Amino acid sequence: MVMIDQKTLQKEINNVIDSDFEIYPGIQGDHTICIPSVQLKNVIVMMMDKFDCRHLSGITAQIRSENQDVIEVLYHFWIGSSFSLMIKLPKHAPKLAEITSILPGADFYEREVAEMFGVEFIGREEIPPLLLPDDWDQGPPFI
Amino acid sequence: MISGLFYLLLFPGLLFQVICSLFFEWLDRKLLARFQRRVGPPWFQPLADLIKLFSKEDLLPEGANDLVATLLPLISLSAVLTAGLYIPIAGFTPFSFEGDLIVILFLMSVPTLAYYLAGVVSVGVYSILGGSRSLLQFFSYEVPLLIALSGPAIMSGSWSVEQIMISQGSMGPFILFQPVGFVLAVVGLIGKLKRDPLDIPKAKSEVVGGPLTEFTGAKMGLWHLVMNIQAVLGIFLLTNLYLGWTKTFNPLVAVVVFIIEFLVLVVILSGASAIYARLRIDQLAGLGWRILVPLSLLQIGFVILMGI
Amino acid sequence: MNKISIPIGPQHPLLKEPLTMNIDISGERVLGGTLRLGYVHRGIERLAQQKTYVQNVHLIERICGICSHVHTTTFCHAVETLLGIDVPIRAQYIRALMCELERVHSHLLWLGIIAKHVGLDTIFMHTWHDRELALDIMEEVSGGRVSHAANQIGGVRFDLSQEQEAMIRKTVNDLSDKANTLMDVIENEPVLQARTKGVAPLSAETIKNYCVVGPVARASGVDVDMRRDHPPPPYDRLTFNVITRQDGDAWARTVVRAEETRETLKLCHTILDEMPDGPVSVRAPRKVPEGEVVVRSEAPRGELLYYLRSDGSENPARLKVRTPTLPALNLIPKQLSAIHVADIPVVMAGVDLCIACADR
Repeated sequence: MVMIDQKTLQKEINNVIDSDFEIYPGIQGDHTICIPSVQLKNVIVMMMDKFDCRHLSGITAQIRSENQDVIEVLYHFWIGSSFSLMIKLPKHAPKLAEITSILPGADFYEREVAEMFGVEFIGREEIPPLLLPDDWDQGPPFI
Repeated sequence: MISGLFYLLLFPGLLFQVICSLFFEWLDRKLLARFQRRVGPPWFQPLADLIKLFSKEDLLPEGANDLVATLLPLISLSAVLTAGLYIPIAGFTPFSFEGDLIVILFLMSVPTLAYYLAGVVSVGVYSILGGSRSLLQFFSYEVPLLIALSGPAIMSGSWSVEQIMISQGSMGPFILFQPVGFVLAVVGLIGKLKRDPLDIPKAKSEVVGGPLTEFTGAKMGLWHLVMNIQAVLGIFLLTNLYLGWTKTFNPLVAVVVFIIEFLVLVVILSGASAIYARLRIDQLAGLGWRILVPLSLLQIGFVILMGI
Repeated sequence: MNKISIPIGPQHPLLKEPLTMNIDISGERVLGGTLRLGYVHRGIERLAQQKTYVQNVHLIERICGICSHVHTTTFCHAVETLLGIDVPIRAQYIRALMCELERVHSHLLWLGIIAKHVGLDTIFMHTWHDRELALDIMEEVSGGRVSHAANQIGGVRFDLSQEQEAMIRKTVNDLSDKANTLMDVIENEPVLQARTKGVAPLSAETIKNYCVVGPVARASGVDVDMRRDHPPPPYDRLTFNVITRQDGDAWARTVVRAEETRETLKLCHTILDEMPDGPVSVRAPRKVPEGEVVVRSEAPRGELLYYLRSDGSENPARLKVRTPTLPALNLIPKQLSAIHVADIPVVMAGVDLCIACADR
């Protein structure tokens, strides 16, 4: 079982992205860290290499009612406690680096986000529908 | 002429075999159900199923050869019904001749080949897959089955089932001398009938319905009939070859003993299908050629040594 | 031999729920396959945003037909965390008891299915018969065999009477005996072993890379169990063993689930022994304060993740459900290479599919 200290992890992430980030402390001692979208892959590579942290439990995308122009993508990791990476994407052109090539388990999660929110994962081939019907033509359902 | 028709249509021909097969199917399903803590079907269920199948619409996928698909179950049915005429029933042998065992075995292989062809002509992917499996299975069980069944023939020095039974009358039932051969014959019979646990060609979770996936209606009904008659005849044959010492008895006693032996074999077959899991086709081939064939050869060697 | 493509699904005797796989085979060898989900996609995440929290408890229950209770428990736990209310301990124990019974019947269901897939119909019939005992308990205490409607935000809807407790103890004992007999049969059945040993082995490395959880991961030596690692109440007070195996093949998965069934039945007794007296629910407000929370729990098939964000209204602003089957499904195409056609059912069963969960 991996057990990683939240503080150590945050320090390492700070080293990777080389700038400050917002931290949203959660209710149960978990943390959400907001990182720039271009750094996502670097951060995850670092987490996998340094901490052997590969337990990605899911990817959530959402749009907050107070900020309609931004799609938030949350990567929920498990490091002995809950830890999430948050990426904010512009709604008109949501583009994000894929991580399936380094962490194959992210495949279905990414496909679901792509389908439901129209996020384009750069580096992935054409994604066939996962949950929606083949002839679905009404755009991403959550937008 | 009249007696010929009687033999052909009533006993031991069509009617008797159909009734026996329906009874066998009911008994088998009932026993299996009781092994599995279910209630099981009422006695008329197999007949009702047959009537239902015959009254249903007959469909085949586009591209399937309808004529061949119709002929295959008919040919198989005639083959097994003919084989039935030569198998003694409780010592009753109207058409016995020297070498009828070979004729019976040949006629009983016809449905297996027709089954394979049925898979090929009905063009479904599962059918073709099931068809090729049935052929592979054929090569795995048929050789040990034939070697095992030649044991009684060698022991009595005759290829006539009646002669084998007469020899048993003086020597005692051959199961006492060839227990291994009997077990092999039962295994071979299960393989021939494609029953659990050797239902590899029609394994539901793997190839849906095997070669018969695309068959419906009357053709399916005929196939069911063929399979059940084949099962009944296989059991009759094993009874005669290994437990057939009743030839010289009082006919009434012979009938009672025959029925009891038949029931025991049905229980063995149902029990085997209840307690064993299905093998993989490569495991079956391995079992057939690495274990069953050497065992059957050993059995034959033993029989020949005993004869000397 | 020629390459042919066989479709498995949406309707196929192998599947209990709809899913399509196109499997390329050559003779009896499987070359690979692709997967298509979505036949039972009901848009529950979106629908949940339009319903109130109270209604959502019942909506969430319909995500799955096997592990419905653990879904509502996790959802209620998430809402209660946001509300900051303490659920009475007795209610937590009743929830846990239901969760464990659900694990028992889910594992028994699965044992029956793998038995059926390898042609052992007798075991299938017997396991499903015994599984009814667990469902009987559920029906006795909650009134529902499959959808129990046991949870409400702030507790559970019913209390256990003395007689019910005695009945549960008796039935669990009964079930333990029967489960032990069944496991003995399964573990000593030579053909079942021949069919599952060495089939589609998964290394711990693969499991980690594919983020797979639950019994499949534990059968490959990845020791994760959210009941122990991130215990939602009352699991922090309970002690139990987490079963792991190292081989990672279909046989190891069978053994892990069989052992887990035994262990879970023991845990049921522990829960009943340690269950305190007291109330079983507290009043919860309809409006949930702003905030977001990630909760995890251990469903029969592995880690279940709920992400819940509230904007202060009566409806959730976003509810995300990640069921354990989803990553496991991802692994199926990977396992479908260089195996026999006859192993397809074993591979599919080994993952313990719950398509309704995966589709939502």
